[in-house]
Amino acid sequence: MSAAGLTPAKRAAITAIGFAGLLGVAWTIVAVLTSSHASPEWLILTLLLTIGSSFTATGMYAWARRPDSWFGLQLSAVGLAWFATALAAADDDLLFTIGVLVGSLYAAVIVHALLGFPTGRLRSRGERVFVVSVYLLCVVGPLLMLLVTAPDPDLPRNVLLVDANDRLADVVDAVLRGGSLAAAVGATILLVLRWRRATAPERRLLAPVLWSGAATTAGLALSLTGQLLNLPGGVLNVFDFAGLFVFASIPFAFVTGIVRANLSRGQSVGRLVARLGDAEAGRGAASLRDALAIALHDRSLAIAYWMPAGGPGGSAGPAGAGGERDGAGGRYVDAAGQPVALPEPGSGRSFTEVEREGRRVAAIVHDASLDEEPELVRAAGAAAALALENERLDAELRVQIAEVRASRKRLLEVVTRERRRIERDLHDGAQQRLVALALTLGIAEHQVASDPEQAQALIREARDEARLALEELRELARGIHPAILTDRGLGPALEALASRAPLPVELADVPAERLPPPVEGAAYFVVAEALANVAKYAAASHAEVIVQRVNGHAVVEVRDDGVGGADPEAGTGLRGLEDRLSALDGRLAVFSPSGRGTTIRAEIPCTS
Amino acid sequence: MARTILIVDDHPSFRSSARRVLEAGGFAVVGEAEDGASGYAAARDLRPDVVLLDVGLPDADGFRVAGCIKELADPPDVVIVSSRDPSDFGPLVAGCGACGFVAKADLSGDAVAALLP
Repeated sequence: MSAAGLTPAKRAAITAIGFAGLLGVAWTIVAVLTSSHASPEWLILTLLLTIGSSFTATGMYAWARRPDSWFGLQLSAVGLAWFATALAAADDDLLFTIGVLVGSLYAAVIVHALLGFPTGRLRSRGERVFVVSVYLLCVVGPLLMLLVTAPDPDLPRNVLLVDANDRLADVVDAVLRGGSLAAAVGATILLVLRWRRATAPERRLLAPVLWSGAATTAGLALSLTGQLLNLPGGVLNVFDFAGLFVFASIPFAFVTGIVRANLSRGQSVGRLVARLGDAEAGRGAASLRDALAIALHDRSLAIAYWMPAGGPGGSAGPAGAGGERDGAGGRYVDAAGQPVALPEPGSGRSFTEVEREGRRVAAIVHDASLDEEPELVRAAGAAAALALENERLDAELRVQIAEVRASRKRLLEVVTRERRRIERDLHDGAQQRLVALALTLGIAEHQVASDPEQAQALIREARDEARLALEELRELARGIHPAILTDRGLGPALEALASRAPLPVELADVPAERLPPPVEGAAYFVVAEALANVAKYAAASHAEVIVQRVNGHAVVEVRDDGVGGADPEAGTGLRGLEDRLSALDGRLAVFSPSGRGTTIRAEIPCTS
Repeated sequence: MARTILIVDDHPSFRSSARRVLEAGGFAVVGEAEDGASGYAAARDLRPDVVLLDVGLPDADGFRVAGCIKELADPPDVVIVSSRDPSDFGPLVAGCGACGFVAKADLSGDAVAALLP
């Protein structure tokens, strides 16, 4: 039994209800046994005590079991209101009058409780209007009757009597009977509608209470119709008795429902464990989902697997991206690894999170009615936790594979693009210069005999051309892989890069020792790309480069004081870097708040 | 009378070198163009004897431009020029209607003249 949400105030309220119930029992016994007008005494006493105490006690139990629901309180209120009807057995005039006045209140409370079951909250405006009308009918009706009706001479005096008026009393009586009949029929219809609209898992929960409730209101409607039709007293007595019997059965129906749920929970979970054992052979997310759907009797059930941040597919950005739940650093995905959103409260769907050894594993997404049976869902979740964890790892792997595949494809695109660029650069640059050089030398060769001065000028021109071609080749080679990086390491290579940048670049904290060549290469190109972007877009006056070794990672940061607002998704340059880094299990993050500069941060594991 | 020639190439540095080489080799350079469209228009309007046509033009493939030029009435001879090796192009040179190929580095008046029919 769950006592979650049982606050001290609610505990005190439940205790108070218990005392009020005991008081009700004691008072009822005294009032009925000393009454001069209540008879047959033992029948009345039995009815009052049985119904009053069963409603009060069941309500206390229900409230303690589900402190968040008002249903328990309402059930207890029915019991206490029922005890209040015993006031009418008193011989004292005032107590007798009060007893008659509140004698129908229990009926309004039971209608309220039935319509609100299981949360105790009414669902629609229509239901609220209906329940308020029933309360008015049950309080104002008797009041009006008391104002104009003089009781039989052998009963205590009606202290509210203003003027005994038989004709007026008949009218009021007819209106009240009509209103009561309408209320009883209306409640029956609402309960049947509620049943028809309920989902399958909800129906299992609602069945005992809803049916005994609907039978009660329908019985009342029949009895009132019988009175209107002036059926003989014997028939009416049968109707009244049957109605009372069904009414008295409501608390027992409620308890029966709980016992049945407990039993079926044990069976469901037992069968779930067996099914999971069978499923091990043909393991799979689908059979696990099916097993849980059967155990929880919810065919719409779905499973969301928890993917912690920092794992595969965790966004490289500063916060876990995606609209998924909570900032605990992670997100939910389906069995295929696609992100899923958990249902919002009030959507008719709900979810229960499953943990294993203190770590979140999955969420079972189910019909909201299963929230009324949290023990069942939790027990099923606990039984399936290991299988869920297995499936979670599978889903994690699928996310990882999809990620690797995508990045491999992008890497290939990057390589192809790079090769095309290099070919283009060679063709447009050095090759053209060498062509011009060859042509110039050709002309010079022709002229060397006839016009040696002109030939000399041409040869000088050719030498300049050769120098420019060399310069372009050097630049290109540096772009492919800078020799200084291979020969001298990251520090000197970054110094060279900084010295060639078109803005002042401060180099801080580059580790003196050599790092594995792929790490040095990746770090170098992060800085090169970042500085190229700073020069192109940032409108910065200054940039800073920091390389540190932190926990076995090379952490490279390039900061500028420019305009910010860089979008890492927009350019191919950063995307290419991301892929280059992911091939080394590294990560790239871009912080670029508008107007506050840009920081590019790469973390590269230094495993050689 | 010197034979007239039109140079079609997107690199200005090559065009100026080629002009010097060809003029030294006895050709009269009547025009230069930097892409396929203007090269075709110049070939049509200037009516040169020879068109020296680069393969890698920014707007079109030189072989296709050569085909278009050869469809003009009384078309000029077309000599394909490239900084690549002719073997890079396989059968394209022979199939485009040009009368020959000369590598950019080997360009001279004699080399072009030797290819003309």
